[in-house]
Amino acid sequence: MKNQDKRFTFRGKYFFLAVLIFYGVIFFFRSQAAQLALMKSSSILIKILPILIFVILFTTLLNYFLKPKQIAGHLDRESGIKAWIWALAAGVISHGPMYAWYPLLEDLRSHGMRDGLIVVFFASRTIKIPLLPIMIDYFGWAFTLVLSFYLLIGALVQGLVLEIFQQRSMDT
Amino acid sequence: MGKNNNKQYKQSTQKPSFFKILQKNCLAILAIAPLLTGVIGLVGIFQVLITPKMLAGLFQNNPLIDTMIGTLSGAVASGNPIISYIIGGELLTQGISLYAVSALILSWVTLSFIHLPAEVEVFGGHFTLYRNVLAFVFTIIIAILTTLTLRILL
Repeated sequence: MKNQDKRFTFRGKYFFLAVLIFYGVIFFFRSQAAQLALMKSSSILIKILPILIFVILFTTLLNYFLKPKQIAGHLDRESGIKAWIWALAAGVISHGPMYAWYPLLEDLRSHGMRDGLIVVFFASRTIKIPLLPIMIDYFGWAFTLVLSFYLLIGALVQGLVLEIFQQRSMDT
Repeated sequence: MGKNNNKQYKQSTQKPSFFKILQKNCLAILAIAPLLTGVIGLVGIFQVLITPKMLAGLFQNNPLIDTMIGTLSGAVASGNPIISYIIGGELLTQGISLYAVSALILSWVTLSFIHLPAEVEVFGGHFTLYRNVLAFVFTIIIAILTTLTLRILL
């Protein structure tokens, strides 16, 4: 609810300005590289637009059908093992670059989602189901299976370690 | 007065409409548009300036150092994970250890220096620091464990 009351402001204006200046400098010294970079960036932007639209719609549906308190109840400090498995599965299923998911996670976090689950989500994103056949083709079945196994375990451990760190810093 | 108060109470407890929530979420995305476009702009620059050849030239044929280099190169480089598989495959044929290649593939997705400003803005400095340190350490651990397990199994 807090977010609703906030005044609309653009975030990361100075960062964007710094990137523009960086482009200007590269354009001055290596104009072809700058043009190529611009083209690559445009194609990335076009690629992630459908993901952003999905994120907007998904967040809207989530907020419309579930009350913030309901969401918080499934993802807060009292939530059990189910929340960890959901975070793990969501990370594996999620598609596109990490930053496309920032708005949704920020929204869930403002509703009470614990930080450990966000860490699990990010860590488990290394497993990309549509890309598994390519990974198997390059590195073989054994590598893919062993790496995926350690990745899932590692994602959960990272989430737990973060929560221990946060608990300790709260205690001190 | 009583009727007015009742009406106000009803309005305040009423569920917001779908379009109102949609508008709020569109505005939330619009608010971070400079951050997102900045990150995408940087990804474009890095994809042009840091080539796979440059990355391959960094490795020293020392498993431990190469694992660290693999992790750092994956964090610096960015793009579709398929590119990391292609580079990883190339590195393996050039004799670079599986420790380094695993680390590169892992850090390619979970670590990114380019995303850091946006991550700090959205999640805060503390969270970003903890998450990235954990991701860095675990990339190395998982890369080592994967390679050692494969050595035992195969």
